[in-house]
Amino acid sequence: MLRKKTCVAMLLAGGQGSRLGVLTQNMAKPAIPYGGKYRIIDFPLSNCSNSGIDVVGVLTQYQPLELNAYIGSGSPWDLDLSNGGVFVLPPYVKGKIGEWYRGTANAIYQNIAFIEQYNPDYVLILSGDHIYKMNYNAMLRYHIEKNADATIAVLEVPWEEASRFGIMNTDEENTIVEFEEKPKAPKSNKASMGVYIFSWQKLREYLVGDEADKKSSNDFGKNIIPKMLADKQKLVAYAFDGYWKDVGTIESLWEANMDLLKRPMPIDLYDHKWRIYARNPGFPPHYVAAGAIVEDSLITEGCEVFGTVKHSVLFAGVTVEQGAEIIDSVVMPGAVIGRGALVRRAIIAETAVIKAGAKIGGEEGNIAVVGQGAVIPSGIVVEAGQQVDAAAAEKLK
Amino acid sequence: MKDVMGIIYTGERDDRLRELTITRAIAALPVAGRFRIIDFLMSSMVNSGMRNVGVIMQKNYHSLMDHLGSGKEWDLHGKNDGLYILPPFLTRENVGLYSGMLDALRSNSSYLRRSRQEYVILTNSHIIYNYKFDDMIAAHIDNGADITMLYTKDPSMQKSEANTYLAVDEEGRVTDMEIEPTNPSNENTFMEVYLMKRELLRTMVDQGVAHGLHDLTRDVIQRLVADKSMKVCGFEFKDKAWQIDSVQSYYRFNMDLLKADTLRSLFSEDRPVYTKVRDEMPARYEGKSEVVNSLIADGSIIEGRVENSILFRSVRIAPDAVVKNCIIMQDAEIQSGAQIENCILDKQAVIKRNARLIGPAAYPIVVAKNVVI
Repeated sequence: MLRKKTCVAMLLAGGQGSRLGVLTQNMAKPAIPYGGKYRIIDFPLSNCSNSGIDVVGVLTQYQPLELNAYIGSGSPWDLDLSNGGVFVLPPYVKGKIGEWYRGTANAIYQNIAFIEQYNPDYVLILSGDHIYKMNYNAMLRYHIEKNADATIAVLEVPWEEASRFGIMNTDEENTIVEFEEKPKAPKSNKASMGVYIFSWQKLREYLVGDEADKKSSNDFGKNIIPKMLADKQKLVAYAFDGYWKDVGTIESLWEANMDLLKRPMPIDLYDHKWRIYARNPGFPPHYVAAGAIVEDSLITEGCEVFGTVKHSVLFAGVTVEQGAEIIDSVVMPGAVIGRGALVRRAIIAETAVIKAGAKIGGEEGNIAVVGQGAVIPSGIVVEAGQQVDAAAAEKLK
Repeated sequence: MKDVMGIIYTGERDDRLRELTITRAIAALPVAGRFRIIDFLMSSMVNSGMRNVGVIMQKNYHSLMDHLGSGKEWDLHGKNDGLYILPPFLTRENVGLYSGMLDALRSNSSYLRRSRQEYVILTNSHIIYNYKFDDMIAAHIDNGADITMLYTKDPSMQKSEANTYLAVDEEGRVTDMEIEPTNPSNENTFMEVYLMKRELLRTMVDQGVAHGLHDLTRDVIQRLVADKSMKVCGFEFKDKAWQIDSVQSYYRFNMDLLKADTLRSLFSEDRPVYTKVRDEMPARYEGKSEVVNSLIADGSIIEGRVENSILFRSVRIAPDAVVKNCIIMQDAEIQSGAQIENCILDKQAVIKRNARLIGPAAYPIVVAKNVVI
């Protein structure tokens, strides 16, 4: 018998993240490296830990190996507990039925038994797609104060971008009166952040109802939220005004990394009261050699820099050889940039090798991407906007 | 998994480390930008498959205990075995202050008795290396040795006056030991690492204390070598090691890491060095930062010039500050226009605007913890 928890978090980490192209070929989106030493999932997990929410179910389905290994026992986030902790929840066979998660709501539905072990009053639904620091406990207090059935975190986005988001139309009490997915003519600029708190009994009822509806696509945004609104349940918007970035595309992932080079940083990662935790690979401090040039960049442990790094983010264990030049780029763990290579406006994925004199990306245009483990031969040019995975790199000669 | 346990003794003399060891044991001395000396020993043991490590504490051990915690960072927080922190304690027989390693082991004899491993590696804590003990253990068993002592021929290890030198014959047997000689007759510096059966160590501790002895090396092992009553063998250590027993040797070790090859060999990928994690964000280079031949840890913000230096975590170098040949520990701050050279700044030290602090190259200035200049 497990002890009761007031609130259990469920983190949806099963999405394929196909808009991240070669980056998510072998890896679920929440496992994508970000900000020099983090992975996207470090943000919701650290937020949970810092908010005192200590049961986190991570729903995985697509390419989960790297993510599973990364989460491990949960100790980097202080989520290795006797009563609670972080649990990886892949789909499993129940009786004679075994099936994939068909949608976000179905994924939670299939884990009702997991949630009920803790007999919670509330359930927090999160996704592994965003970079933000948020106190979920403050949101939970708001949910309780408003006596809501569901609370949806919203962010005021620029009006011209509002039609890219799920928009909440609210009254003066912050009660949600209408939800519009990607409206052509938005009536509000309050965009859903994909962070929901539900009163558990209410959500349970709707999950069971949704499952019985054969026409439903079992999705929170498409089905559960509209159905609750139609039934006049009390849904309230919780305004968040901090930094929040969706990193679902190559361009937005690159931009989110570049945001960390701004002064001041739009998201304060030096904040010791709200640390973002990450699994630590145990490298020495990074080494900058005589003759190296480093400007306006983020560099972490285990890197060795002999060449030039300007306005870029280097992850753990990256080597920049002599004469190599990295500008406006993101270089993920263990990658090697060979002598005289030029990397510009590009994302170089984990353990990729750019051989001497190769050129990646351009001064303008879309971001070039070199996939995990890809070896770009000497002298080859990868154009702006081009994506090369390990298999494609084999054929470049 | 090896049938070997480790005991690290952290009570050695530290007076020549000046301000650096006022509040901490040598083992807890911050080194290499983000580590403490004991991390290298602990990681060497863990990377050698050892699962039971005891750390004998003597004085100023608060920071060491804080650093080691539950042993989680070294995966030594299991139910069986794991990390054992052994601080001094008072009993009727025990005054709390050890008069030597033998005495320290006697105080912790119940830990030795309860452990289950057949062998024990016993070390001091002031020599830095990253080593797998596998070959030493294999040689010990092959030689049928009772005791194996690790030694090195590295000339840089012969600088300390407190060294022990071993005469070793062709079969690897130790034939003579010279403790703290002015002119040693050979180059085999003892690395303060013993390997023997746990039961043998228990007997030696019991017998030694019964005869009023305190010093394991001088009073027990040296006699065993002299009267040849046991087979004491030497095993040569061929990697790089650093003895930290003075401000100069501390400074030299850190500066050695600015050679990329030395850095790579100490932190080779198959022998990671684990330490307590601080979860700092990566280091940030801003504005007109200029960094030459330096090691920079996470959490630092650099806007000035840094040359031939080692910056620990969360160090701030303001615009127009100049740092040369320095070791700057965690959370220290160099304000704008300040200039420092040949200095060791302890944690949270602050060099105010436009201050100048230039030490002689041979005798670096130590700025103690929390000091503001």
